[in-house]
Amino acid sequence: MSEEVDISLLVIILDTNPAQKKLREDTHILTLCLESIIALANSHLMLKATNKLAILACHRKSTEFLYPPPQTAAGASTLSMRQIDGQYELFTQVEKTVRQNLQNLVMQDVRNITTESSTESLLAGAIAMALCYIHRLEVELPAGSKMNSRVLTVTGSADSASQYMSYMNVFFTAQKQNVTLDVCSLDQDMGLLQQGCDITGGLYLRIPQIQGLLQYLLWVFLPEPPIRKKLVLPPPVKVDYRAACFCHRELIDIGFVCSVCLSIFCKFSPICTTCHTVFKSPGPLPIKPRRRKSSSAK
Amino acid sequence: MAEEEDGKEYRWETGYEKTWEAIKEDDEGLLEGSVAEIIQRAKRKRQAERHGNTRLGMMRHIYLVIDNSECMNNQDLKPTRQLCNSKNLINFNLFHYYLQLLEGFIDEFFDQNPISQMGIIITKNKRAERISELAGNSRKHIKAVQQLNQIPCSGEPSLQNALELALRSLKMLPSHASREILILMGSLTTCDPGDISVTIQNLKSQGVRCSVIALAAEVHVCRRLCRETGGLFGVILDDCHYKDQLLQHVDPPPAATFLDSSLIKMGFPHHNILEGKEASLTMCMCHVDAPDGEDSKLKSGGYFCPQCYSKYCELPVECKACGLTLVSAPHLARSYHHLFPVENFIELEYKDVKEANELCYACQKKFADIDKHVYECGKCSRIFCLDCDLFIHDSLHTCPGCATNPTTLQDILTSAPS
Repeated sequence: MSEEVDISLLVIILDTNPAQKKLREDTHILTLCLESIIALANSHLMLKATNKLAILACHRKSTEFLYPPPQTAAGASTLSMRQIDGQYELFTQVEKTVRQNLQNLVMQDVRNITTESSTESLLAGAIAMALCYIHRLEVELPAGSKMNSRVLTVTGSADSASQYMSYMNVFFTAQKQNVTLDVCSLDQDMGLLQQGCDITGGLYLRIPQIQGLLQYLLWVFLPEPPIRKKLVLPPPVKVDYRAACFCHRELIDIGFVCSVCLSIFCKFSPICTTCHTVFKSPGPLPIKPRRRKSSSAK
Repeated sequence: MAEEEDGKEYRWETGYEKTWEAIKEDDEGLLEGSVAEIIQRAKRKRQAERHGNTRLGMMRHIYLVIDNSECMNNQDLKPTRQLCNSKNLINFNLFHYYLQLLEGFIDEFFDQNPISQMGIIITKNKRAERISELAGNSRKHIKAVQQLNQIPCSGEPSLQNALELALRSLKMLPSHASREILILMGSLTTCDPGDISVTIQNLKSQGVRCSVIALAAEVHVCRRLCRETGGLFGVILDDCHYKDQLLQHVDPPPAATFLDSSLIKMGFPHHNILEGKEASLTMCMCHVDAPDGEDSKLKSGGYFCPQCYSKYCELPVECKACGLTLVSAPHLARSYHHLFPVENFIELEYKDVKEANELCYACQKKFADIDKHVYECGKCSRIFCLDCDLFIHDSLHTCPGCATNPTTLQDILTSAPS
């Protein structure tokens, strides 16, 4: 009797940008987050032998894979994988690799510190990298096995409107590839990521108390998408899909859309600011000379 | 015959000879590697041809003309063996299978062009009939196409009648919308009441772009129609080629020069779910005329038009009461990637960059000897493998290297589109 077991891939994106508000207030938060995430990762691997895992750290200047470790010849991971306290070796490996790589990443950034500090976390790019990784694993799947994938983003940053285009691109790609996007927000409500969760059918949760992070992660984000229908999870948030006008960044009900570049404006203007096309002013519609045309066709 | 030549030559004009020499065996005598290489090269060539600087017609109004004449009952074109094995093929009707592929095209079309509208016309018995009005709802069209399975194919098609019927409604559209007709022609003949050259001239003057996908063979009048109106003409070889030809029409075509650019007034309703005792159950305007039992349900929530407060159950839709086009922001966002495409990556030999990079930046795949070429992004200088290159340009439309680097992200945002 061979049951077909789905492979479940969990990709965790951890926002390690030091400019996040929560991190600036209390630097120990990152340690707490890291430990909760490692516990979640190990719980995921414990559910099924075929489950897969990947962890990315979205840092200030770049995004790096913490697990699986990059298999370069130079950085060959020769960490001694001896058992500690009887812990399952895979879990030890995950924990050690993640800690080591994160340490390397942060130390490298400290050495290359420059005065310019961007306060935004480039999560859209991190999700794009996760999607490429998922795509590669799906191509490499042996024939006959199915895989369901999800991307969990744990972040304490605020929404960033400048990444709107990148966000929308990754959301639609995730929807097409059947990848579920989950978001765990430590600090503020993030409208764009809420839209992403809604589009892909994932879960959005804003943690009220950060001390209970592990509990929330295990309760809401551990079950894989096919099982979620059988559980009672936090209800979906009502997402505001109204568009923001390009001139004032305010949400509008009725707007004017340029037919060339699809930019949205709240009032009529003779020139589109994005693509610089000139529009005709909206006078009364000219009466189409239909009568003349039909007589000439005869 | 000089004016017939438009770059593609015919075999009898000795345009191409000994095409089998293009496929070569590799060192082990296998053909797979070279065939895969040819396919990859064709994909990259198509990508390279797409320039980012042409103005595209985004709001598309397209009429699908399906040939429903008796030649569609022919069993001469067979699907591939793989398909034969997977489906039960007793009394397999080819026409049904091609209609199924068409449904896939309709889904993909509305996925990539959410603010566009489509209508369906069939032609048989020397007449043309409209089976689906111009609308932005894919489900209605798919249902109409599925119902075609029950109607028998008979008679001869009439190209001119179909074109005239489509032109009648396309003529009345506002000037900023792109007007297109896609004809699926299975027969080699057409029975027309008048001079088709007049129809072609009318189409040309109205700015309608006609494309033809011929299922049997090339017909001179179809090729002339496409050439005069600026459309694409193709003859299919098998079902995979048919799918490929259909998908070519999903991308927005370059805008005709006389396409007016104007500001279109649109509404962005939000989904209101009224709760509590005062929640009144109302019917939505899209189904209020539908006969009983067809998706017409009383609900208390829906999308309310900001101008006249009529309720609709799904977007995008054109409000029946006040004529305002209702969309949601993600619908417009789906088309943004056509305007801000990712630049083509530079192809490099793997041996040149072997020392510095061993892994693909996006998927962390280790480069092996079979990866002869790697691809570098011009902006962020990250190296990607071939699979990631195709994935980024076809689906993702965002370079992960540029999106994770704050300096390059700033560059992308400040570069103004044309």
